[in-house]
Amino acid sequence: MQAIRNFFKTFLLWELLRGMMVTGRYLVRKKFTIEYPEEKAPQSHRFRGLHALRRYPNGEERCIACKLCEAVCPALAITIDSAPREDGTRRTTRYEIDLFKCIYCGFCEESCPVDSIVETRVHEYFMEQRGDNIFTKPQLLAMGDKYEQQIAADRAADAPYR
Amino acid sequence: MAEFRNYTLNFGPQHPAAHGVLRLVLEMEGEVVRRADPHVGLLHRATEKLAESKPFNQSIPYMDRLDYVSMMCNEHAYVMAIERLLGLEVPIRAQYIRVMFDEITRILNHLMNVGTHALDVGAMAVMLYMFREREELMDVYEAVSGARMHAAYYRVGGVYRDLPNRMPQYQPSKYRSEADLKRLNEARQGSLLDFIEDFFDRFPKLIDEYETLLTDNRIWKQRLVGVGVVSPERALQMGMSGPMLRGSGIEWDLRKKQPYEVYDRLDFDIPVGVNGDCYDRYLVRINEMRQSTRIIKQCVQWLRENPGPVMADNHKVTPPSREQMKDDMESLIHHFKLFTEGYSVPPGEVYAAIEHPKGEFGIYLVSDGANKPYRVKIRASGFAHLSAMDEMARGHMLADVVAIIGTQDIVFGEIDR
Amino acid sequence: MEELKKLQEQLASAFGDRLVELQVAFGEVQIEVKPADLRDVMFELRDREEFRFEQMMDLCGVDYAAYGKGEWITEEASFRGFSRGVNAEDGVNFGRLGITGVYGVHNVRTNTGRRFASVVQLLSLTHNRRLRVKTYAEDDDFPVIDSITDIWNSANWFEREAFDLFGIIYEGHPDLRRILTDYGFVGHPFRKDFPLIGNVEVRYDPDRERVIYQPVTIKPRVLVPRVVRRDNRYEGLKPSGESTNG
Repeated sequence: MQAIRNFFKTFLLWELLRGMMVTGRYLVRKKFTIEYPEEKAPQSHRFRGLHALRRYPNGEERCIACKLCEAVCPALAITIDSAPREDGTRRTTRYEIDLFKCIYCGFCEESCPVDSIVETRVHEYFMEQRGDNIFTKPQLLAMGDKYEQQIAADRAADAPYR
Repeated sequence: MAEFRNYTLNFGPQHPAAHGVLRLVLEMEGEVVRRADPHVGLLHRATEKLAESKPFNQSIPYMDRLDYVSMMCNEHAYVMAIERLLGLEVPIRAQYIRVMFDEITRILNHLMNVGTHALDVGAMAVMLYMFREREELMDVYEAVSGARMHAAYYRVGGVYRDLPNRMPQYQPSKYRSEADLKRLNEARQGSLLDFIEDFFDRFPKLIDEYETLLTDNRIWKQRLVGVGVVSPERALQMGMSGPMLRGSGIEWDLRKKQPYEVYDRLDFDIPVGVNGDCYDRYLVRINEMRQSTRIIKQCVQWLRENPGPVMADNHKVTPPSREQMKDDMESLIHHFKLFTEGYSVPPGEVYAAIEHPKGEFGIYLVSDGANKPYRVKIRASGFAHLSAMDEMARGHMLADVVAIIGTQDIVFGEIDR
Repeated sequence: MEELKKLQEQLASAFGDRLVELQVAFGEVQIEVKPADLRDVMFELRDREEFRFEQMMDLCGVDYAAYGKGEWITEEASFRGFSRGVNAEDGVNFGRLGITGVYGVHNVRTNTGRRFASVVQLLSLTHNRRLRVKTYAEDDDFPVIDSITDIWNSANWFEREAFDLFGIIYEGHPDLRRILTDYGFVGHPFRKDFPLIGNVEVRYDPDRERVIYQPVTIKPRVLVPRVVRRDNRYEGLKPSGESTNG
């Protein structure tokens, strides 16, 4: 009996038909793709994208040049120079991230004692010229200013877990 | 009489079926392979040497990049080796989280492997469906760690952060009606655990779908049955492990035989093949996905009921929480010490092995008491498997080489390191 | 623990004074054998009923030249600071930072016979246990160790790797070629006296219209010094590399 059944199954391309049924069902079902540039997949508030340097609400930059992020960076992507400012506080004179070296591990954010360096949700960026891969301090601060609301909301959402 | 001569064929390093940068020098006799000489090392990044120049923790993100389709499993072996040297106890909740993510990683890996294997052999649809599921699992990765692939989530002493109790949701757009958006976000209403549970309720049905497309399919069977047969004795001799070993009929799984973390508390079976050909290994992988589903469900159940810490409380090794760090001087000192110098690990040598989706993944760690490892040796399962390429491919047709590469589950990140 | 004791006793009774050292630490058993005895011991480990180590999981080379050496040890380092500011003014070759040793290449002691080790991880499926076998090559300048490729075929590529990275010659290996490094690579990169940033870099030269090799231009950078702490919590645990005549 089994043999006859198998014979007919072979003959009728049974398993291929069943496979076609699966793909056929998907043909008429709702699509599970999204229209990417206009529509985006959900992003976690822990997302680790492009970096930013934050400021305090009064406009003062948070970074105190403790260089923890520089020391902890596994790819040695961060370069910091520091000097005392006129008002006597210690600040960075140079804060550069080489985006080619960076592996987006999030250790800099984890190590920062003043929540200054953060990784934002931005993941769509490009460089046009050689040398653009060096993300300088003004650029980083501008990133921070631009996305501060989002950054603050994400940190607040994740605060209980850290 | 015409004279036949062997000729040499260069396969790769840029070949879509080579799963990366494999250069295979094949000595052919007509269409039959007489000798296969894989040239590897095109992706060699000296991870082991790099690790020697960094404090222990800083190498964790590099472990992700070894086998870049099963990221967290690599981290697991590495942190386990350090924990063993330190004699560090990991909180039980962290162990469950690790096991759960190991199994999610196993499914990610097998989906990738079976999907691309089918693609190489000529079945396109399966790959597309499998990548759809991978997408959701990578959302899980992203929800806990913030990265879809290179998670850097496991830490010495536990895992970095507890599971979030909220999933990110789709945002409204002009392409979505209200009802449509609701449907998309349906599974994302609750916590991460709800999302995982919902996914794994649906997943067995999806595996059935893949099986409908592949398991009985005559083309798939013609390409796989009887190809790349490895006898159990040879499998042992050639250092195979994981599905390659089990496909040959040897029941060996480190999760059962040398249980680590909480695998001894969980209920699951080990699928074993019979003939040791590509088809059996495919079946083993499919069934491993079903078993992983079982494990994950048990983990979800446990994790729901038992909240608790996910990091060991030893601040010589694990960083204090941010709140502590900002309030307490001693914690701040610990924080600074840990992120600059790291921690010193007592001198000694350990070999920590885990059941990686591809086989046994081991880290042989030599420490001389410094804050950086003295020597890290990564035992990649794919390395041993690829070295068996010559023997497995010999006497087969050129097209079968592609099927064998697929079944070996080769990823160059771990082979070349 | 029971199992480890048993294995320990079995090893001691089977090999006697062929074992240079037998050590149990962190739940793992490790033995050291002389290169001359290696093959005999390995055959017995594979075939004898009480051992039956069917699988050779891993074989790797280790270079013990800088074992127990820290970078943060000089007097002047502590007041000058350890940073990327560490540079050529210190009188050290700029291109050679980033490896163990005081700001530079570790000075290799002459021929101790304890520099290169070949470490084998064995696994017995029958008895469900592991064993680590270590062999030190007797000559540091030209380290030679017998190949075990015919005992476990899986050793083939692992020995090629150890040859490539450490320059250990495996005698009797059927096909001892470089495996991981580039075709025509010079040197053995995982040795402790090989700089982390390498010696040469490759680029395409548009003038000569071909790929050329040139000395590395990367600036070496070490931000975290290597510190060897004799932590009192771990006193009593001797570093295994120094445990015998080293």
